[in-house]
Amino acid sequence: MADNKFAAYICSGCGIGDTMDVAGLEKIATREGKMTVVKNHPFLCNAEGVQMIRDDIANEGVTHLCIAACSRRAKAEAFAFPTAAVSRANLREGVLWAVAEGADHDEIRQEMAEDYVRMGCAEVKKMKLPEGNPNKGDAQNKRILVVGGGMSGMTAALAAADAGYEAVLVEKTGALGGFASKLWKRVPFSSPYAEPQATGVEEMVAKVTGNPKIKVHLNTTVTETAGSPGRFKINLAQESGSVSEESVGAIVQASGFTPYDMAKLPELGGGQANVVDQAGLEALAKSANGSAIKRADGKEVKSVVFVQCAGQRDDSGTHLPYCSGHCCATSIKQAMYFKDANPDVDTVVMYTDLRVPGMGEDFYRSAQQKGVIFTKGKASKVSGGDACKVEFKDLILDEETSTDADLVVLATGQVANAGVNLDDWTEVNTKAEGGDEAAKTQRTEMKTISVLNLNYRQGPDMPQFKYGFADSHFICFPYETRRTGIYAAGPTRRPMDMLQATEDATGAALKAIQAVENASQGRAAHPRAWDLSFPSARLEGCTQCKRCTVECPFGAIDEDEKRFPVFNEQRCRRCGTCMGACPVRVISFENYSCDTVGSQIKAVNVPDEDEEKPRILILACENDAYPALDMAGVQRLSYSAYVRAIPVRCLGSVNTIWITDALNAGYDGVMMMGCKKGDDYQCHFVKGSEMAYYRMSKIGDTLKQLGLEPERVQTQEVAITDNARVAKLINDYVEQLNEMGPSPMKGFG
Amino acid sequence: MTAALEAAECGKQVILVEKTPTLGGRTAQLYRYFPKMCHPTCGMEINLKRIKGNPNVRVMTMTEVTEVTGSRGNYAVTLKVAPRHVNENCTACGDCGKAVASEIADDYNYGLGKVKAAYLPHPMAYPQRYVIDPSIAGTAEGEAAKAACKYDAIDLGMKEESVQLTVGAVVWATGWRPYDANKIQPYGYDRYANVITSVEFERLADPHGPTGGKILRPGDGKEAKNIAFIQCAGSRDENHLRHCSRICCMASLKQTQYVREAWGDEGKSTVYYIDIRAIDRFEDFYQMVQKDATVSFVKSKVARIAENAANGNPVLHGVDTEGYHRYATEHDLVVLAVGMEPEVTGVKLPDDIILDSSNFIEGSKDGGMIGAGAASSPLDVNRAVQSATAASLKAIQVIHKTASTEAA
Amino acid sequence: MTNANQQAVARYKNNFLKEVEERVEEGDMVKMCMQCGVCAGSCPLGSAWEHSPQKIFMMIRAGKRDEVLQSDSMWMCTSCYNCIVRCPRQLPITHIMHGLANYAHRLGIAPKGQPTREFAKTFWNNLIKRGRTNELTLTLAHYFANGIGPGIKTALNMQKIGLGMVMAGRLNPMEIFGGHSVKDLKGFHAVLAKAKEIEDRKKGFAA
Repeated sequence: MADNKFAAYICSGCGIGDTMDVAGLEKIATREGKMTVVKNHPFLCNAEGVQMIRDDIANEGVTHLCIAACSRRAKAEAFAFPTAAVSRANLREGVLWAVAEGADHDEIRQEMAEDYVRMGCAEVKKMKLPEGNPNKGDAQNKRILVVGGGMSGMTAALAAADAGYEAVLVEKTGALGGFASKLWKRVPFSSPYAEPQATGVEEMVAKVTGNPKIKVHLNTTVTETAGSPGRFKINLAQESGSVSEESVGAIVQASGFTPYDMAKLPELGGGQANVVDQAGLEALAKSANGSAIKRADGKEVKSVVFVQCAGQRDDSGTHLPYCSGHCCATSIKQAMYFKDANPDVDTVVMYTDLRVPGMGEDFYRSAQQKGVIFTKGKASKVSGGDACKVEFKDLILDEETSTDADLVVLATGQVANAGVNLDDWTEVNTKAEGGDEAAKTQRTEMKTISVLNLNYRQGPDMPQFKYGFADSHFICFPYETRRTGIYAAGPTRRPMDMLQATEDATGAALKAIQAVENASQGRAAHPRAWDLSFPSARLEGCTQCKRCTVECPFGAIDEDEKRFPVFNEQRCRRCGTCMGACPVRVISFENYSCDTVGSQIKAVNVPDEDEEKPRILILACENDAYPALDMAGVQRLSYSAYVRAIPVRCLGSVNTIWITDALNAGYDGVMMMGCKKGDDYQCHFVKGSEMAYYRMSKIGDTLKQLGLEPERVQTQEVAITDNARVAKLINDYVEQLNEMGPSPMKGFG
Repeated sequence: MTAALEAAECGKQVILVEKTPTLGGRTAQLYRYFPKMCHPTCGMEINLKRIKGNPNVRVMTMTEVTEVTGSRGNYAVTLKVAPRHVNENCTACGDCGKAVASEIADDYNYGLGKVKAAYLPHPMAYPQRYVIDPSIAGTAEGEAAKAACKYDAIDLGMKEESVQLTVGAVVWATGWRPYDANKIQPYGYDRYANVITSVEFERLADPHGPTGGKILRPGDGKEAKNIAFIQCAGSRDENHLRHCSRICCMASLKQTQYVREAWGDEGKSTVYYIDIRAIDRFEDFYQMVQKDATVSFVKSKVARIAENAANGNPVLHGVDTEGYHRYATEHDLVVLAVGMEPEVTGVKLPDDIILDSSNFIEGSKDGGMIGAGAASSPLDVNRAVQSATAASLKAIQVIHKTASTEAA
Repeated sequence: MTNANQQAVARYKNNFLKEVEERVEEGDMVKMCMQCGVCAGSCPLGSAWEHSPQKIFMMIRAGKRDEVLQSDSMWMCTSCYNCIVRCPRQLPITHIMHGLANYAHRLGIAPKGQPTREFAKTFWNNLIKRGRTNELTLTLAHYFANGIGPGIKTALNMQKIGLGMVMAGRLNPMEIFGGHSVKDLKGFHAVLAKAKEIEDRKKGFAA
């Protein structure tokens, strides 16, 4: 610590100096903040101001700096000093612009600014210098494992290889090609979007097998995945019984889909003669090889009806609730098989909403041109046999009617091959760990469908999103699964057609490449991309309570034999949920810890009860609530000068010690502002916000012990657009606290 | 932004060129996303943070590509940088805005409001830097703005610049624009104040918009509670856009929920459609909206709109094709779900760029230029991000392959 | 004529769409309809249509031959072209409607006494007689189509307009005596006969 030198730089620009006593702030930084160097500047973010700081780092040996100027969200590039520890005291958006104008606010405005300077100094004093990441040495493997040798998997492997990365492709069957190899033709990928195209599977298989950067394992499954990005160890088992091991840096899971079983659709003729699903029709088309398509009994098909949404879009809870997206275009393509071989075949596509977005509209028109008939109708009953019959309601002509056909094709949907459902697994596993023998058997049974067999504490596969797909919950970040360095691609991620699957696999390959590069540099993955800080734990203080291992949203923490947590750093997303969970506070990051936040809370000057100046702590999610507070400032939507806001990485990282520290110090209230939780959660660390609510629901007892009302701590869902709302929430809360009177804890801290 | 960031985070050098003064594109002008009803600015905050922290990305705003020559692995790109009249000294303190009186149409709000001629485009704007509109650059007002700036950030003499770059691959993520609703004559967008577009409706619902998030119709500022949504306004139409714009069904379904959010059970939304294309797992959103008693669906392409002169209400004429029922229905406000037209429509592109019949970019003949996101196909945000991520890898492959050829 | 209908039924069996495609003017565009209904809503006389154009297209695809051909709906078309202009698939709806009407007429199964059809017949007969329309005889034939009584009544009602037209030189009372013909009336009739022959061949009516 001897080499550390602390400095505070206070900007008087943008009106800060006109409204606040900057000399007073300097005094605070020196006397209370204990900064060795304290300077002010009228325009700190310009070249000259920044140079002043750089010179101090270079010449004066300054290592830790508190910049008291604008929000940390502004001028980030100007105030980037990669070798120094930097804190930002938000005097502009957080004080100058947020507190109502006018001299009658001068005193409380100045107090607020002083506190932010105190907090900035206190924070930086607890921060460690950025060291880079010392633990990256063993995470240097840059090979990409691709699980699944279908269209998506082959695309991902080739995409990685074409960018210079080695790929290991594992396919459980004896041949590459997957579902696509069962197709006669595919829907076109590019204009003119008029005719079915050759699938290109054979060429692709040749490309894959001939590529020196791709190693293919056929008849092989993954029996265990251990490790982290940059250092995964994969155990493979061949059907023959032989086993092997591969070392890889990242994984693309392209395990595809299974068509929904039409045997579950007896009312639509599933299981009856001459009623096939789309896969069945492909088989007939393949054997016809371009000539007239014949049924299983050898009879040439002269009329065919395609029943769309068979067992899909079902809101009764019996079949698939979703739409599989590709089936309209697929039926159109299949109807063309008939028309192209013989224009006189009657082909009817029976649909409720024809879903061919984008250029699919051209493909639809092309089918109409060829004479395919589209009937808006809902099939109620299909009978198979020699003369098939489809009973349906014609929605345009508004009548119950029927049509005869030689063959009926049911457009059933895609069911993801995404492995074990972790929610079910956790339940069974908990029982099994408790010694339940039946559960142990069930657990073994469950694992037979696992794709990855992760040896992670939280279960063998990726957490699934809705309907069993291994998808991301984020609209802006479709690849962000909850297992770092493992990316789902193709129909296992989301129902999709072949064009989208190839695009998807290419994107997933990029994410895998990024993951190995990040791991090799010790950098975090999304959303704190390139964060070099990392979690460390003082295990000597650990009580083996397992909260961190259970609560980590990304399954980053395992347990050793003695039940101590094992941090797999390359899996960590740096959200700090483990830090928030830890009851004995042994987990921290170099620039974010119980101490960096705790010391800020304690640095605030809490006035005595008789001053009638309440103090409210705000712990705000750095991605949504804190920007909302900032923008409230930008838009000059004033809020109370009694609040002190601290950005947190995620509400999940909030340790209850911060709350008790604040209340002990005499704060009158604590507001926690996080993202939306629940089914449509917006927390970018998945369940941090939910964890915070859960933890706060348990804090009542602590408050009671302290003799405090439960209203002294509140948790709010705040969206990034809530600029006006956040100001109102604050002002309402201040009013509420005023009515309640000052905290009885004042003066005891 | 996604294509740039994904490549940059793989360690590649990226130059991100943007025509307007800020990043974020059309998503920054949306109130909420379907189907989660979350806010686009949330993801944008993350992406901006990634950009601010990544030395591999160089951002150039108010910049357009005027020429690309060369080939895969070695392109010479000519850029035209329009004068912002504000340099990097700007702290976004806002003093210049206070010194200026003239107002210009607010592009951020699709012209529904006005903004000062010295302005920050929106609260999330990045770069967080003001813009001086060219209309005041040479005037006394321009001088007043300059005088008000304490930081020497205003440079009224800034001229258009031309910049040359050499790059290995080009990703075209030029996006889309709403189809010009004036061209759909029977709907009277040009004649009736209370017929607006879906993108304008986003601004009406947004608390950052011109009405502060209140759904007030433009004609008379009256609360609009009974709202019609007309699908395929310009899309799936040989007379306008031949393609289906994919996003409009989900966007309208989403917007019916803005109506519910604003007016509760008093709101009323009617969706006039041909096919509801709530593709894949968005289906559950459609089912949820179908169960909403304030929303009804009419399977009909509306034939024409007239106006009730007495109250300014648009009157929709058409036929519900499910059983053939003729209607003439009055609404407070009509929202046209306008289609997506590629932003490059009508723009001269390099010769070897391949466009499809709707002007979406398929790529270049030698694969060195790649279309991404809504420039390549009408895509929703999620799929655009997916497409951009894939485009990013294709660009990296170009660099990798041409570099290894050179080395060999 | 019923004979022609029976032959058509025998020839196309249940495939009415194919029959329309081969035998009705621009009938091959019927399959391109996507059931949006903009034609139905655009028709100024829409409420007089028992079946809208888009519904007729669906009925054709559903094989409702008699219901379509015996319908008076397509006889309601006044050729305003609103539907054609707005159709997102650019179907020549007006032409198809006239084509259907004409086809039903040729088969002899068009609705009897349907006013538009009757007027069309009157107009055609008037036209082919001298190669040009005779405004006066055409008008009178139309007025008196339903008998002497109603004819006189209508004529009296329209008296003012008629006189106005005479004053303006738009109507010549002397035309009552037959009026003048095109120059080569024989040639004109030969053209019509040839056109019919070609049309019959194209639409499969030739023996």
